[in-house]
Amino acid sequence: MAAPSTKEENQAKLSQPAPANPRQTGNNTFQFALGNGMQVLVIPDHRAPVATQMLWFKVGGVDDPPGLSGMAHFFEHMMFRGTKQVPDDSFSQIIAKNGGDDNAFTDHDYTAFYEQIAKDRLPLAMKLEADRLVNLDLSDSHVVPEREVVLEERRMRVDNEPQSLMNEQMQAALHLSHPYGRPVIGWAEEVRRIDRASAQGFYDHHYAPNNAILVIAGDVTPDEVRKMAQDAYGKDAARELAPRAEFAEPPRLAETRMVITRPDAKVPLFSRIYRVPSYAQGMTGQAEGLEAFAQLLGGDQTSTLYRVLVEQKKLATDAGASYDGYDRDSGQFSVYAVPRPGVSLEALEKAVDQVLSVSTIALPRDIELNRAKTQLIASVTYRRDSQFALASAYGQALAIGLTVDDVNEWPARVRSVSAEGVRKAAQMLSRKQAVTGYLIPGDEK
Amino acid sequence: MKRFLQAAALSLLAAVTPARAANIQNIDLGKDAEVWFAEDHTVPVIAFNISLPAGSAYDPAGKAGLASFAASMIDEGAGGLDSKAFHEALANRAISFSARAERDYMVISISTLKENAPEAMHLLQLALTRPRFEADALTRVRAQITQALQQADAEPPRVASRTFMRDFFGDHAYAHPVDGEMASISSVSAGDLRNFSRTHWTKYGLKVSVAGDITAPVLAKLLGDTFLPVSGAVPPALPNVGRLGAPGVHVVPLPVPQPSVYFGLPGIMRQDPDFLPGYVANYVVGGGGFSSRLMGEVRVKRGLTYGISTSLTSYNKASVMVGAVATRADAVHQTVQVVKDTLADFAANGPTQQELDDAKTYLTGSFPLAFASNSGTAAQLGTFQRQNLDVGYVARRNSLIQAVTLADVKRVAKRLFDPARLTVVIGGSPGGAAAPRPSAPLPPGKPTTPAGPAAQAPGVPTQSVMPAPKPADKPLAGPVTTPSAAKKP
Repeated sequence: MAAPSTKEENQAKLSQPAPANPRQTGNNTFQFALGNGMQVLVIPDHRAPVATQMLWFKVGGVDDPPGLSGMAHFFEHMMFRGTKQVPDDSFSQIIAKNGGDDNAFTDHDYTAFYEQIAKDRLPLAMKLEADRLVNLDLSDSHVVPEREVVLEERRMRVDNEPQSLMNEQMQAALHLSHPYGRPVIGWAEEVRRIDRASAQGFYDHHYAPNNAILVIAGDVTPDEVRKMAQDAYGKDAARELAPRAEFAEPPRLAETRMVITRPDAKVPLFSRIYRVPSYAQGMTGQAEGLEAFAQLLGGDQTSTLYRVLVEQKKLATDAGASYDGYDRDSGQFSVYAVPRPGVSLEALEKAVDQVLSVSTIALPRDIELNRAKTQLIASVTYRRDSQFALASAYGQALAIGLTVDDVNEWPARVRSVSAEGVRKAAQMLSRKQAVTGYLIPGDEK
Repeated sequence: MKRFLQAAALSLLAAVTPARAANIQNIDLGKDAEVWFAEDHTVPVIAFNISLPAGSAYDPAGKAGLASFAASMIDEGAGGLDSKAFHEALANRAISFSARAERDYMVISISTLKENAPEAMHLLQLALTRPRFEADALTRVRAQITQALQQADAEPPRVASRTFMRDFFGDHAYAHPVDGEMASISSVSAGDLRNFSRTHWTKYGLKVSVAGDITAPVLAKLLGDTFLPVSGAVPPALPNVGRLGAPGVHVVPLPVPQPSVYFGLPGIMRQDPDFLPGYVANYVVGGGGFSSRLMGEVRVKRGLTYGISTSLTSYNKASVMVGAVATRADAVHQTVQVVKDTLADFAANGPTQQELDDAKTYLTGSFPLAFASNSGTAAQLGTFQRQNLDVGYVARRNSLIQAVTLADVKRVAKRLFDPARLTVVIGGSPGGAAAPRPSAPLPPGKPTTPAGPAAQAPGVPTQSVMPAPKPADKPLAGPVTTPSAAKKP
């Protein structure tokens, strides 16, 4: 698990030493830090004269103040609402005028902002980010309409989508007290309570160069980036951060089950989520074992769930599994299946549990384990084709407390997963640490 | 700082064509096919984007959705490989292989590690020439499509977009949903699929774009061998389009908190000299994210929506300017009125010189972003090919956009954005007070029609037949709905 920045560390960063020289930390990755504590990672790619800038902050939905869920995500929106020098919504307009694209996203553990732009415009994109990192101008005339925008976003992504609604309820039930159970987008009635003062407090406590990781991928050299980053971000002073709270993850003593009936659901769904170890907190090889197991169990149409439920038993039209292990605290393992017409969710669940039960006893066949590993390892080669995917992979890892080595060594770690490692991963899935949901079409009673 | 920023913007007017765009090779595959190739050896990956004249516009009467159904069967067994064996052949080598139907074309996307390119092309050849269409796979895929159609029935953007296309195109083959209807899908037989594949999975009119780690001679040999046995049958021509549009407001009631609105007008054909001025005009009105007038009026000023956008799409036989927005039920009338007022103002006055300059710097300056990856390059080249452009267009494109004048855009704005001709479809039940100024009277609600995955603007159809997205999907994308991955004309 990532150690949160302590007060002492923050004080040390406030003293502003000169930036370190870029240090090669992988085949094609270079790292250094600015004097104000900003971490920088450079990934050269000279295929096109463009660059991707991503600025990751170690703040996310878990840092929402009590009673104000959705604050981190709302704040991500506010970062596009202007500073004194770059007022209103001119941030995105300036990026566009310079041929660039920009956007941002928020998760429980982090918030990230990015621009993709011609390489000679990278200094401009850096100056703009450096400006809003310290000079944001929050006013009621911006906070009030943006709150409405976020509520529309919530209606679009969650309230209008029965599967998203069920997933939100299941997440809330899975985490007894950890804020991973709160939706990143926030509960609507709490989003409505966010105001200018609470937004300002959030900014003051979390947005600072010493809480940020800058990732630059593209047609640049590490030395160029060092000069540009120092020019743009070096002036931003480090700030004392609010310490990140550490949340307990008390053991669950029983499975939670829910049945959600919705008139806007037209197709039933069986879904189960398990709390499992993440990359950041798992023991060596545990997360990679879960990753391989998820691929074998439900990664594609050659996987066990699809083969058995969809093709052989003809109980489902679709079935799959996935592992999400890139979290500071617990990770999550998900299984789902969609019944064929006339098949009950109970029958479907029984069949899923049979497959899971076999996985805890029998070792996977070599040919299947090799296929799963081939696909996982190839995904890293495919990722190299995209500046954005590469920058995201490293940025996300660093933001949750992993290292560049963790990213670079991942293919070798996956290659070394044994059949026994997969079986152990299957045995890790405990119904007590899980929430099971049935989504059923129909009128709410 | 602001002064510096503006100076920087001006110098971008001299934006150069990206090195890659200037270096697209033509590879000979016979007179009826076209192959474009961007060579790059940085990453050992090759991306293919392949278009065949097999889109939904060729669906026979009563068989709406046949082309899309056939595309969904592309990896479900061919030659000596049944469905299971075909999927395993792909997975064992981590080959990504999928097909989707658009209105004019079936588009096949393949990504492969360099060393597996021969196997990927072998599987493509089998899929195109010896598809099995076995009963078991057919039943399974039909059930998947049927469930997707059922769920789409309840989703406002899908209901609105499907109804919009039906109302806008009337009797034409572009009107019916790419995914078809429950009744037509249930009537599709293996014989229908076999006949369709024989007539339409042909190299007559074939377009192939390739980017990545291979050389031209090796690629030429590989593609020559791959397509040698593919039929050269000439598919039937599509009918011409009559009158476009159904002006007025059409409501499909749905019990949802946030209705979706699709609105549109007759567009401009790709070969019309006014297309690029029209494209620039569309960028200013609704194509440019936060730079667009509609985003400014509807989202930034009024907080009425998370996203609003418009696009100008030219099919082979017709063109449409279509926009989409979603808002809470009691704000639908107000939002539609703001859209109409914004379009009316733009039609009357056109853009400012500053808006035109800004549009041109974005459209030319962002062009290299499309060529930053092999998969992006192949997809962008495929888009150009489906617009029937020549390979030299890639190098000319930025100077053509630079040449668009204020007079051009003002003229085209008048032609394009006439709110009196606007077709508006609301998926959902608008409520609350009517707009401050009278809008078109709302006709009685039409019966709900089955909806499908054509949730996005036409021209960017989707083809997912999987009814259930995987439940875990945590990161929330930021403030702009439309990702920049949208292809550029």
